[in-house]
Amino acid sequence: MPIRIPHSSSAGRSEVAAAIVGALALVIGSAVLGLVVNEFSPRGIPLFSTTAGADGAPTPALPKGMRGVDLPEARSAFDEHAALFLDARSTEDYAEGHVPGALSFPAYEFDGRFAEIADRVEGAESIIVYCDGGECSDSSQVAERRVEYGFSHVSAFESGWRAWTESGAPVSEGTEP
Amino acid sequence: MRGARLRAALGHPALGACCRILIGGIFIYTAWPKLLRPDEFARLVYGYRILHPDLVNLAGITLPWIELVAGIFLIIGIIPRSSALVLAGLLGLFIVAGFLALVRGLDISCGCFFPFMRDHKLDWSLLVRDAILILFALQVVVRPSGFVPNRSRSERKGVSCG
Repeated sequence: MPIRIPHSSSAGRSEVAAAIVGALALVIGSAVLGLVVNEFSPRGIPLFSTTAGADGAPTPALPKGMRGVDLPEARSAFDEHAALFLDARSTEDYAEGHVPGALSFPAYEFDGRFAEIADRVEGAESIIVYCDGGECSDSSQVAERRVEYGFSHVSAFESGWRAWTESGAPVSEGTEP
Repeated sequence: MRGARLRAALGHPALGACCRILIGGIFIYTAWPKLLRPDEFARLVYGYRILHPDLVNLAGITLPWIELVAGIFLIIGIIPRSSALVLAGLLGLFIVAGFLALVRGLDISCGCFFPFMRDHKLDWSLLVRDAILILFALQVVVRPSGFVPNRSRSERKGVSCG
């Protein structure tokens, strides 16, 4: 089987140039395709983040139509007993420390756990879900399935547990709220 | 003599086909769930603390599409050299991002086969794996003879992966 080898260095250079131009075109074309699909997708996200995290910098946005709360808002809701907190982290993390009064509600045990806390959730005026913060997405997963379970007044506390503890807010330990 | 054999082996179309299917297949497989959950993927990107947070969503939206399109192009033979170049570049990017995260002591999920390996932590072995995959991608970049789509049927005979 013959191997194609450029006949001259100028031919080789033109092949390299063509490969680079093709690569750039592929990157730009795919990126544009992604932006267009995102615009019309129900799972699309805003192009730029809008929610402030613990350090004041924006964090990755929630899916469109989902509300996020920042630390001051979450703290205010806690102080005024205006919201029920759901902890979407693992039960082990919950036992090590959680927002006082928060119910343990791991994102991956949603179906099994929902029956246990259904009464509390349905009676709550407002619900705030949190997880570790930053790159974690458990809170948005729980909040995203809210409609499926018939409650819509859920917000995701995106900067989450990390921001809560760093701010010196109250913390409870153990398996009980 | 041995060098000539090695060059012939490296330039063999079967090796090129295998590399294309391997690299293209991996990127298609890993891109798909990211396309379905751009918000989750954006959070994984955010965890690396490399991009300015304003740009994290843009990366979460566009990167999976670049992976998917380049992976498909590579397998079916549309601008395969350019596609392999893009995927090699992405692997290089992942290595740099992973290296910077590790030296800064970040304890984060690698996001490599997200969401199937959700809890797989970023570690040095993953950088080695990416470096090996780069070699496969570069094999296609350097030896384009293995996948020229317009070759005659007789030339294509006997070219298979495996």
